[in-house]
Amino acid sequence: MTFELTHVALLCLAYLLLIFGIATITERGWLPRWITEHPVTYILSLGIFASAWAFYGVIDLAFQFGYGALAYYLGTGALFLFAPVALEPITELARRHQVHSLADLLVFRYHSHGIGALTTLCMLLGILPLMALQIQAIADTMHILTVSRDPAIPAVGTGLTFKDLMALTYCGILALFTILFGSNRERHRGLITAMAFESLLKVFALCAVGLAAVYGVFDGFSGLEQWLERNPENLALLHSPIRDGASHTLLLVFVATAVTMPHIFHMGVAENPILRNTRTVTWAFPLFLLFLALPIFPILWAGFELSVPLPAQYFTLGVPILAESHSLTILAFIGGLSASTGAMVVITLALSTMVMNHWLLPFLRLRRRQDIYSQLLWLRRLVIAALFLGGYLFYWMLDNRQSLFHLALVAFIETLQFLPGIFAIVFWMRGNRRGVIAGLSAGTLVWGIGLLIPMLTGLEEIAVPFGDGSLSVGMSHWSEITLISLGLNTLIFIGVSLLTRQSEDETYSAELCAADELSHPVRQALDVHSAAEFKTRLAKPLGKVTASREVDIALRQLGLAITERRPYALRRLRDQLEANLSGLMGIHVAGEIMDNHLPYKLAEARDTVDINLIENRLSQYRSHLTGMAAELNNLRLYHRKTLQELPMAVCSLGRDKEILMWNRAMSRLTHISAEDVLGSHLDDLAQPWCDLLLNFSEGEDEHLYRHEIALGGRPHWISLHKAAIEGPVTGRRAQQPGFAKEEYDQVILLEDVTETQLLEQELIHSERLASVGRLAAGVAHEIGNPITGIACLCQNLRYESDNPEILETAEQILSQTDRVSRIVQSLVSYSHSGQNKKSAFEAVVLRECAQEAIALLSLQKDKNQVVFDNRIADNAIIAGDLQQMIQVFINLLSNARDASEEEGRVMLESQEDEDNITITVTDEGEGIAPEHIDQILEPFFTTKDPGEGTGLGLAMVYSIVDDHGGSLDVISPANPSTQRGAQIVIKLPRHLNSMLPDNLVRTHTDATDKAD
Amino acid sequence: MNNQRLVILLLLIAYIFSPTLFTWIVNPEGAWYRPYIMWVLVIAIAYAVQARKKPS
Repeated sequence: MTFELTHVALLCLAYLLLIFGIATITERGWLPRWITEHPVTYILSLGIFASAWAFYGVIDLAFQFGYGALAYYLGTGALFLFAPVALEPITELARRHQVHSLADLLVFRYHSHGIGALTTLCMLLGILPLMALQIQAIADTMHILTVSRDPAIPAVGTGLTFKDLMALTYCGILALFTILFGSNRERHRGLITAMAFESLLKVFALCAVGLAAVYGVFDGFSGLEQWLERNPENLALLHSPIRDGASHTLLLVFVATAVTMPHIFHMGVAENPILRNTRTVTWAFPLFLLFLALPIFPILWAGFELSVPLPAQYFTLGVPILAESHSLTILAFIGGLSASTGAMVVITLALSTMVMNHWLLPFLRLRRRQDIYSQLLWLRRLVIAALFLGGYLFYWMLDNRQSLFHLALVAFIETLQFLPGIFAIVFWMRGNRRGVIAGLSAGTLVWGIGLLIPMLTGLEEIAVPFGDGSLSVGMSHWSEITLISLGLNTLIFIGVSLLTRQSEDETYSAELCAADELSHPVRQALDVHSAAEFKTRLAKPLGKVTASREVDIALRQLGLAITERRPYALRRLRDQLEANLSGLMGIHVAGEIMDNHLPYKLAEARDTVDINLIENRLSQYRSHLTGMAAELNNLRLYHRKTLQELPMAVCSLGRDKEILMWNRAMSRLTHISAEDVLGSHLDDLAQPWCDLLLNFSEGEDEHLYRHEIALGGRPHWISLHKAAIEGPVTGRRAQQPGFAKEEYDQVILLEDVTETQLLEQELIHSERLASVGRLAAGVAHEIGNPITGIACLCQNLRYESDNPEILETAEQILSQTDRVSRIVQSLVSYSHSGQNKKSAFEAVVLRECAQEAIALLSLQKDKNQVVFDNRIADNAIIAGDLQQMIQVFINLLSNARDASEEEGRVMLESQEDEDNITITVTDEGEGIAPEHIDQILEPFFTTKDPGEGTGLGLAMVYSIVDDHGGSLDVISPANPSTQRGAQIVIKLPRHLNSMLPDNLVRTHTDATDKAD
Repeated sequence: MNNQRLVILLLLIAYIFSPTLFTWIVNPEGAWYRPYIMWVLVIAIAYAVQARKKPS
C-alpha cells in the first residue's frame, strides 16, 4: 500500500497549517479561555517530551531491552511525580528571575558568562543528534508511505537522495512556519495550546495503533494471551535483557531529561505550567505517560506476528500498513509527524534563545538608534533558520547509518552532563563555576570521544598510552561511557568546587538559589532618584524609544507611576527592568546594561536588609512555608500585627532615612497611608512631618516633649521618642567595622498630646473664669448695698413730696435701680458655676430659664436686635442646676443672635417623650460651614472675629449638657430649602416628678417671678 | 531545607534498591502487564495524596 507523493505532501502541509492555525487563533483570543487555560492543556503541552523517538524509536527500545524500555517513561514520570521537590524549586527560580533557558539558569547561579557560552555549545552538540532523529523519522516514514511499493527501509544512500530532498523541503516549510510564528517572544499561550493539541494527537494515534494491534491482529486480549503462550520467546524477550546493568543506566539517562532537555525545560520551566499546576502535574503527567507506554508491547508483538518487513522502530507505521487500514496508516503517520514537528519547533525556539543570549548578543552591538525589537526579531529568525539547517546537515552527514535509538541515546547522554550543575543550583551551595566548567567539559569530552565522533566517523577503537593500548568506543559501549562521563563530571565538579573559592557575587546568587533560603536581599542604594531618570539612563544602551517603552512596561507591571521617587519602588523597578530585558536579550546582556548604566552604589550599607522586599516575599510565599519556617512566620505576623495595632504612632527608619515601618496609628495621626510612604525617603514626606521627623531623627535628644505643629489650620502638640535598633538584622554577615553607633536603624514613637494640652488650657481658663465670677459676685454684692440705699431713699422721697415732677423722678430712679438690681442679679447667676453635683439638682423649668436668658440678652443694645420666640412648653422640666441651664441658654441664644441678621428670628421649641425633653434653638443665619461642624464643640474654636468670642460658649454648653446626662447635636443647614440656618438640638433627661403636678410648676414659676 | 535533602537521599536509596523491586515487578511468572498495574497504583496514590492536600 503506497500513497501518492502529492497526497502526503498535502497532508503534511495541512497538518502544519492546522497546528500553526491553532496557535494563531489562540493568540487572537478566538479559542475560549477555559480551553486554553485548563490544567489539562498545560499538562498535555508537557507531552512535547515525547518526540518522534517516543512514537517510533521506543518500539525498538522495547525490542532490545524489553521492560527496560519503560525506564524512558518511568524516569521522567518519577521526576514529575516528585515535582514539588524536584522541579518546583527550579521553576520557582526561573519565574522569579525571568530565566528562559537552562543556560540562563546556570549563568544566574554561577555568575559566569563563560558557563552560558559553554552550556550553549554542549547543548547544541547534544541536541543536533536529536534534531537529526526527528528529521530522519520524517524522511523515513514519508519514504515508506510514498516511494517503496513493498514497504522497506530505503537503502543507505550516498549524496542527496529523493528522500533527503523530501526531508529538506519539510524542514524548510517547518522553519518558515517557526520563523513566522515562534520568533515573537510574546506568543506563549498559542504555543502551549498548539503543543497540547500535538500531544493529544500523537497519544491518540499511538493508542489507536495499539488497539488495532490488540483487536485487529490478536482478536482481543484473550487472543494476545494465547499468542503469548504459543510464543513464549516473546515473553522471555521482555525479561532477559533487564538483568544486565544497561537498563539501570537507561533509567539514569532518562530521569534527567525533564530538566536538561532544552525543549522540555522551555515548555515545563520557562513557560511555567508546572508552577501553576503542581498538584495536578504530579499524577496527571505520569498518567499521560502511561497512555503513551501502554501500546508499546502490543505493537511490537503485532509487528512480529505480521512479520512487518521494517526495522522494529517503524512498527508503529508498519502494523497499520500490513493490516491494510488506510485511515489508521494516515493517523499513525500524522501522529509521528506531529511528534517530530512539535519537538523540532520547541527545540529550535529554546536553542535559538540560548544562542542569541549567550553567543550573539554579548558580542554583537545592536544599532541603538534603530528599533531594537525588530533587530532582535530578525536576528532570532536567522538563528532559527540556521538551527534548522544545522539539524538537517547533521542528519545528512549521518546518512541513515544510525537507528533512532542510537541518536536519542547520544543526545540524552550529553544532556545528562548538566545534571550535577543543575542539582547544585538548589541543593549544594558550595558548587562553583570553576567546578561546573571543569566537570561539564570533562564529561562532554568523554562523550564526544566515546560517542559523537565514533557516530560520525565510524571509529571503534582509539589508541591510549595505558592499558592494552586501545580503548573501545562507539554505541556498543554506551552504558560504560555514560557512567564514566557522568562519574568523571561529578567527581571533577565536586573536587574543583571544594578546592576553589566562590566569588562574592556567586555566593550571593547561590544563597538566592538555595532552596532553604527565602532570600534575604540586601537593600542597596541606587543613585537614580526618579522613574523618569531611568529612561534617560537607559536611552544610552537601548535608544530613546526602546528605553522609554521598556520603562513604561515595567512601571505598568508594578503598578507604579512615572513620578515615583521612593527608593524601594525604584529598586523594584530596576529589578523588573532587568528581568524584562533578560527576557528580551538574555541574562548576560541585561545584567551588563544594568550594571553599567543603573549601578547600585556599592555603599558601605551592604548589610542593610531590604525589609520591605522580605516582607513582600514572605507574604507571597506564605503557603509554601512548612514546619519551623511556618511557625516563625506566624510569630513574625503576630509581632507585626502587634506593632501595626499599637495604639501609639510608630515608624522605623533605615540608617539612610528610608521609612521601613509606618503603623496604623501613625497613618491616622498623619493622614498619610502606609502604602504611600513605605520605602520612601524621609525627605519625600509631606510637611510638617518631614521637618519634624528629620530634625528629631538627626538630633541628639532622645525625647522631644510637646512640640507644637499646625495641622489643618489648628495647633497640635506632639511628643516624640526614639531609640536605635542596634545590630544587623541578619545574623549571617558580621557588622562591618565602618559603622559608627549613630548609623543604626531607628524606631520613632509619636504621641499626640493635643487633648491633654487643650484640657490643661481649658482648666486654666476655667480657673480664670471662676475667679472673674467670684469677683463679679463680690462686686455685685458691694454694688447691691448702695443700690438698696438709693432705692430706700427713693421710696422715702415718694412720701416726702407731692410735686408730680419729683414723684416722676423718684419713679424713674426706682425703675432704674430695679434694673441695676436685675443686672447685678443676672451677673451673679452667670458667674455662679461649678455646682454640678447631681444630688444638688432640682426641678428646672426650661421655659423660665430661656426667658431669663432672653431678658439678659435683650439688655445688650449694641448687638443685633432679634426676635426670640420662646415656644418651650411650660411642663418641660428637667432635673438640673438652674444657673447652669440659664448659662446654656445665654450661650446658645447669644450665638444664634450673633449669627442672625438684624430683626432676624430665633426660635426656641421643645418636644418631649416619656424620658427625655428635647429643646431646639433654631436661627435663620448663614448656618455653619460643613468643615466646621466637627470642630464647633471643641474649646476655643470660634468663627467670630478676634476679641469677639472666646470659643468657649458651645464647649461649656456641651460640658453642662453632658453633666446633666444629656446630649447635644448640631444640624446645619436647618432649613434645607434655603440652605440656611443652624439648629442646636439638646436632649435632656426629664425630671421624674414633673409629670403630674401642675401646681408644682405653678409654684415654681411664682417662686421664680418673686426672685426676679 | 533539610527535609528536601532527605527526600533526595530517599530517591538515591530507591534508585539503588530498584533492581530488586524491578525484578519482582517484571517477574516472568506474573502477567506481562504487571508493571502497568503498578504504574496505575502509583498514579492513584499520587492523586489521593494531592487531593487530600489543602488548597494553598
